[in-house]
Amino acid sequence: MISKKLAIEVLNEALATGADYAEIFYEDSDARGISIENGKVDTSSSSAATGVGLRLLKENQCVYGYTTDLTKKGLLALASSLNKSFHGERVLTVTKLDMVKVKNRNPIKRSYHDVSREEIIGLLRQGVDAINELKDPRIVRHICSFGYNHRGVAVYNSKEKWFKRETEFARMNFFVIAADQTGFETGHEGPGTQSDISFFKEKINIREKALKAAKVAIQTLGAVECPSGKMPVIVGNGWGGVLFHESCGHPLEASAIAKGLSCFSGKDGDLIASPIVTALDDSTIPGEWGSIDIDDEGNPGTKRVLIKNGKLVNYMIDDFNGRRMGREGNGSCRRQNYKYCPTSRMSNTYIANGKSTPEEIIAATKLGLYTKGFSGGSVDPATGEFNFGCSEAYIVRDGKICEPVKGATLIGKGFEILKNIDMIANDLEFGQGMCGAASGSIRTNVGQPTLRIKEITVGGRGGELK
Amino acid sequence: MKYDKFFELAKAAGIEEAELYVETSYALSFSLFHGEVDNYSLENGSYYVARGIINGRFGAASCDVYNAQRAKYLVDEIVANAKIIENDDPAIIFKGSEKYKKVSTFNKELASVSIDEKMKALHALEKRIRELDPRIIEVPGVEYSESSNSTTLMNSHGLKLTHKTNYFYYVGQALAKKDEQVKSGYDLYLGNDFSKFDVEDLAKKVVENTVGQLGGEACESGKYKAVLDRDVVSALMRVFVGHADAEEVQKHSSLFIGKLGQKIASKKITIEDRPLDKSLFARGFDDEGVATYNKAIVKNGVLQTYLYNLTTASKEGVQSTGNGFKAGSKIGTSTTYLCLKPGKKSLEELFQEVGNGVYITSVSGLHAGLNPQSGNFSLQAEGFLIKDGKKDHPLDIITISGNLMQVFNDVLEVGNDIKVTTSATQAESVLVKSIGVGGK
Repeated sequence: MISKKLAIEVLNEALATGADYAEIFYEDSDARGISIENGKVDTSSSSAATGVGLRLLKENQCVYGYTTDLTKKGLLALASSLNKSFHGERVLTVTKLDMVKVKNRNPIKRSYHDVSREEIIGLLRQGVDAINELKDPRIVRHICSFGYNHRGVAVYNSKEKWFKRETEFARMNFFVIAADQTGFETGHEGPGTQSDISFFKEKINIREKALKAAKVAIQTLGAVECPSGKMPVIVGNGWGGVLFHESCGHPLEASAIAKGLSCFSGKDGDLIASPIVTALDDSTIPGEWGSIDIDDEGNPGTKRVLIKNGKLVNYMIDDFNGRRMGREGNGSCRRQNYKYCPTSRMSNTYIANGKSTPEEIIAATKLGLYTKGFSGGSVDPATGEFNFGCSEAYIVRDGKICEPVKGATLIGKGFEILKNIDMIANDLEFGQGMCGAASGSIRTNVGQPTLRIKEITVGGRGGELK
Repeated sequence: MKYDKFFELAKAAGIEEAELYVETSYALSFSLFHGEVDNYSLENGSYYVARGIINGRFGAASCDVYNAQRAKYLVDEIVANAKIIENDDPAIIFKGSEKYKKVSTFNKELASVSIDEKMKALHALEKRIRELDPRIIEVPGVEYSESSNSTTLMNSHGLKLTHKTNYFYYVGQALAKKDEQVKSGYDLYLGNDFSKFDVEDLAKKVVENTVGQLGGEACESGKYKAVLDRDVVSALMRVFVGHADAEEVQKHSSLFIGKLGQKIASKKITIEDRPLDKSLFARGFDDEGVATYNKAIVKNGVLQTYLYNLTTASKEGVQSTGNGFKAGSKIGTSTTYLCLKPGKKSLEELFQEVGNGVYITSVSGLHAGLNPQSGNFSLQAEGFLIKDGKKDHPLDIITISGNLMQVFNDVLEVGNDIKVTTSATQAESVLVKSIGVGGK
């Protein structure tokens, strides 16, 4: 950390030429990762990150810089080189810094620093053993890995506030490659948490996760190519939420909305989705992968209803983009680390439970696709055009799940797809992912119950759906 | 020397051989929105990656501030990490190649161009994008960015190598609207010689890329003869060549297993790695300190070599090909400047040869829609219909799908429209026999 006295000095240097807001983001983090490949510990690495990011705002202008020179001289030099962007008189002077109390919903009970490498390897071995016990010659390669991050952050700003925050998060990944004469296929599972190691011991079944990755890789080998064209698609729960994340989450971030650059700009209060759709971004869920107690500019994490019964009611807003919108930040300001200027981002974003059951949705579908596993996607917030890839999918015929298919990609325009959701089940689940955007790669949860889109374009190599 | 401390501590801790990789970077960027600077950023970064061998096994650690405390951290973590490694891969810290070719990727003139001049060009870019076509409804952003990087590799054998590079880019974005349809487009100029940058040329490309997509509709799903634009070829070629990574071959997960000296692509395809050519991406040595050299990976469709780092080469008793580059804390394998050898035909001649088909100009979501292991892809795409040998109307909301091996086998012609892309690749448009299109 840096002393309050130095922080005040640096903030005042930053404010010297007329900035109306200045903020120091200090970070001291470390991470460790271990991977086991085909049963043998293959890599083990450690990293430590220490640096300072300095942000200056003046009306709608943002200036950001970072340095790894944490001496007084280094920090003051950064402040004075950044303040050269403005040419006015000082409007603010910082005289004190009061500590903001942070509600800690994600306390570190047992730090990952106190978990030995041997203990981690022991847990990973459960997954390795499960895969090896299959004795399936088609599995040619498997990598089971574990990584954790410990992040210590302190923020000091010209509102004369400061706070510190410590978080830890960890993730396991099971990656399986299977091969036969037709080629290679892969399967992946990646459970993650902000809880301590007990999550991996008690909350999830490591063997099951590893076996799931193996099952998908093997099953996909024998799968036929997915048909293409427009068709009804049932999107499975959990990771299926990547659909909402891409198609609507990103366009509802203030970074897109504020400048009128989102396909949802100017639609406040409009019916933008089917009336059965209610969608939220909630960073207050204890222990969840995307939760934050306080955001990177000092606003507490909140539960925001984005779409209520189809109507657009809120956005992910940070203070800076909020200026153009005439709105205050609502706890959405995030960044990967001190190297990134923060902006509005998602946390745990999901579509709320509906009234159907997954079984009812499948039974009500005469001919279509059921997608259950997903590999991520992307979106252009301005046009709403998005894509996402499916790693596990099945044909549905006469209300029954039939043969598995591979190579399905769903594409469309978010604002059209939202209106096409015609059934939502009651089995909400989350999936853990990393989301990449302007302020870097951050952890986010996607989530949804099983739902049906009555028509969406599917890309695949299998010709017409029959 | 300030790094002596690390090597002294390493030796004292029983690390038999040690290596330190130091990267320092400086970057400046600014962007405009409605004629005003909305973002300005300045970066001064450093990054240290240390590796060491204990009992024949590697341990690694990294940090981004170096001082006595961190030197100790690096050593302690190397020791703890190396102790638990179980794989039998040979761990090698390199003594050095006989000779290194000098490459120049640093243009000291770039720093002497004033920020005002760089800013002036950015204002001009935004203005011209707005002026060039009335259908442009917004310029979401224009950005200037410059970066300079210095990397030094040193090890306990006394090897010390340094590489310096700098570059800048201008990027412009635009939104165009016709009726209810909104399309976005962008283009980018990358170089390190400021005098070569032409505002008007970039503005025209941004506008063309954006308004060109208006008025599109999806085509019927089916198989089409296709021209894949060079940007698409660049993206697919990088994943294709990834299968030449010797580690993937040794670990039984490459599509090129057993294909050395055999045909893996159309005879029109020659792909080379050209680290010593004059380019922004030139490198005289890789991240293990091995001297690089130009080489063909695929020649007239035949696989010439796998790509090796020191570890994978040692396992097969061959020499490293100078392709050992960092992938996180580990040394992986990658190319330096990947080049597809151009053919003779222009883009228009490729359209004529297609007759009726599709011209695919961009693909999105490669991380989700392309499985690098199987080579299967199904990707959101943009492009145009080709009708009677000419570019026709744009295509809206389509996917293309296929398999990488099949696509590179199906190449009938390579164009002559050379483009150097930001992903360290030179590519041209290609004509392929057949590609799956998902549309209506």
